Amino acid sequence: MSASDLWSIVPELWLAGLAIFLLLVDLLTARKSLVGVVAVMGLLLSIIPIGSLLTQGARTVIFGSYAVDGFAVFFKILTVIATALVVLAAIDWLPGRSQYEGEFYALLVFTALGLVLMAASTDIILLALSIEFVSLTSYVLAGYLKGDVKSNEAGVKYFLYGAAASAVMLFGFSILYGLTGSTNLYEIARRVANAPLPALYLSIALMLSGFGFKISMVPFHQWTPDVYEGAPTPVAAYLSVASKAAGFAALVRMLMVVVDPGRLNWILLIAVLSAVSMTLGNLLALPQRNIKRMLAYSSISHAGFLLIGVAAFRGDFGTPGLLIYLLGYMFTQLGAFFVAALIGQQLGTDDIPDYAGLSRRAPVSALLMAVFMLSLTGFPPTSVFIGKFYVLAGAIDNGLLWLAIVGVVNSVISLYYYAGVIRAMYVMPAASTVPLREPAALQVALGIAGLGTLLIGLYPQPIIDLARSAVLLLRI
Amino acid sequence: MPPNVVVDWLYVGVFAIVGTIMAALPLAVVWLLAPRADLPQKTLTYESGVIPFGQAWAQFNVRYYLFALIFVVFDVEVIYLYPWAVVFRRLSAFAFVEMLIFVLILLVGLAYAWRKGALEWV
Amino acid sequence: MIPVPYYLTISAVLFTVGMAGVLVRRNALVIFMAIELMLNSVNLTFVAFARQLAAIEGQVAVFFVIVIAAVEVVVGLAIIIAIFRARSTVDIDDVDLLRG
Repeated sequence: MSASDLWSIVPELWLAGLAIFLLLVDLLTARKSLVGVVAVMGLLLSIIPIGSLLTQGARTVIFGSYAVDGFAVFFKILTVIATALVVLAAIDWLPGRSQYEGEFYALLVFTALGLVLMAASTDIILLALSIEFVSLTSYVLAGYLKGDVKSNEAGVKYFLYGAAASAVMLFGFSILYGLTGSTNLYEIARRVANAPLPALYLSIALMLSGFGFKISMVPFHQWTPDVYEGAPTPVAAYLSVASKAAGFAALVRMLMVVVDPGRLNWILLIAVLSAVSMTLGNLLALPQRNIKRMLAYSSISHAGFLLIGVAAFRGDFGTPGLLIYLLGYMFTQLGAFFVAALIGQQLGTDDIPDYAGLSRRAPVSALLMAVFMLSLTGFPPTSVFIGKFYVLAGAIDNGLLWLAIVGVVNSVISLYYYAGVIRAMYVMPAASTVPLREPAALQVALGIAGLGTLLIGLYPQPIIDLARSAVLLLRI
Repeated sequence: MPPNVVVDWLYVGVFAIVGTIMAALPLAVVWLLAPRADLPQKTLTYESGVIPFGQAWAQFNVRYYLFALIFVVFDVEVIYLYPWAVVFRRLSAFAFVEMLIFVLILLVGLAYAWRKGALEWV
Repeated sequence: MIPVPYYLTISAVLFTVGMAGVLVRRNALVIFMAIELMLNSVNLTFVAFARQLAAIEGQVAVFFVIVIAAVEVVVGLAIIIAIFRARSTVDIDDVDLLRG
């Protein structure tokens, strides 16, 4: 290990330092929103070292355990933006709900550090550690509102599911290590050809439980609705976006680097899981009345869509499509959750029928919510449309036509429940016409989310180029 | 089963038997030799010489639990110091600085817990 | 020396016992103990393989798994205590506000 290795991980060091610094700021100040503002500024500043990595070639550092490549940089950018937006939203949402306000921002930044590590680990020890790191901070964040029984329940459910899933995943890692005698992904990839096939199947299946839990893929999805409903709304937003993205990053790196599909055909497995996730998530989302539960089930369905991009990894569409989808979905899903946070804060309800007449009471938020709902359905010109277009093209390109058809059918089904929200806001008569207060920081976060959704939809070329170059660098 | 494995298991068996005897023997000796007086006081719960009152199933205050949680974390972090200490002579100054940073981060955690009052006896 | 497959068998049994505990038991603390059991089976597998392959990485991994387990204890117990204070129960079948 050399000093130049340290230069390559400046973004991670910066995030770690920032999180510790936030804890200290929290100890010294009584104005807790200051901690949030410092967090946002620190996160934005981290874009500078991250951007400087873009110009460098792909390589691994620290004894080959950590990748510095376009793929990792892409997820660093995504994580930092998502974290900054969530912190911004929380600055308005959190006060008065918890007596531990400063730590919330510190925990979010710690989680961001874990997510960044997760997306770039090329060693199963580091991968396990970073997944565990993200899980642990997420458990705390999900159960953050100690006085709120629902938040408690979300915390304990997330914890029990997550701890069991990661224990299973670790067992898979230990078997993979035993089969190859190395913990380095690239070394494993070289040696895995000699490994006995049944044991390899077993270890991949066990590992999938950990990744599946993080991305809320069927059949590891049961925690999702309960945790999203009970957790503080900004945390639910964060889990549905950032931790899902990092889970996909780790899954793609693991599958594409380590396992040659010619030897162990995981493509069909992923394709079937993708179809099941899409369909089940959609069908369960249909009867939901609570907006957070609805978004939770829809996030399971979107996990299915994203899995198409994993299964259709050959060619120019699948994997870049996955990255574009993740980025577009990040803005849209965060925006939808932020509107839910705003309504939850102002009206004290998460039920979709209570959104009636929102177009009059909070016209900007209602309009943005309508955009987010259309984007989640996959209407052009929005960000998720571009993502869906790419992954579906990838599926057809890879000979998975049936999967593409399942995807299109599911998009049509999902229109029903997304349009339900728009109908409530614009068609249903309002219970009251008092305008809602729209707090400043939350508005800024909401505006950025809306801007991102539309900008990627209207002018996707830079993002497509970025995603393509990110994928090229994945294999080193 | 190869013969050396049998020998290994033999050790385990001998160890188990001898261990059991070692544990049981003093008890048996005491039971045989010690004088006995069965007084009702002897069945009472020992509470530092004070005559016990109330039910033993009273609810205890779990004020220890915060200390316990903090202790577990700091206790386990120490396992990283052991391998580091074993090969310390062969490591460069860089490793020393690294461990300093590690301990420093732990100290920040301790300072945090202290400042938040987690170390106060309430 | 006891052959490595023996260790692997024990570790698989431990893992299965842990998994069964997670699935069958309803007390949050017992589920939690079952998860710890699973983590220990992971440790045993790593050490056994490290011995067989004469590769140090497995032993290194164990250090990290131990710490993972310890930190999980801390976070998990804190969450379970929070829910116990609110509900006076740690039976997960009683923790059912969120459903639908």
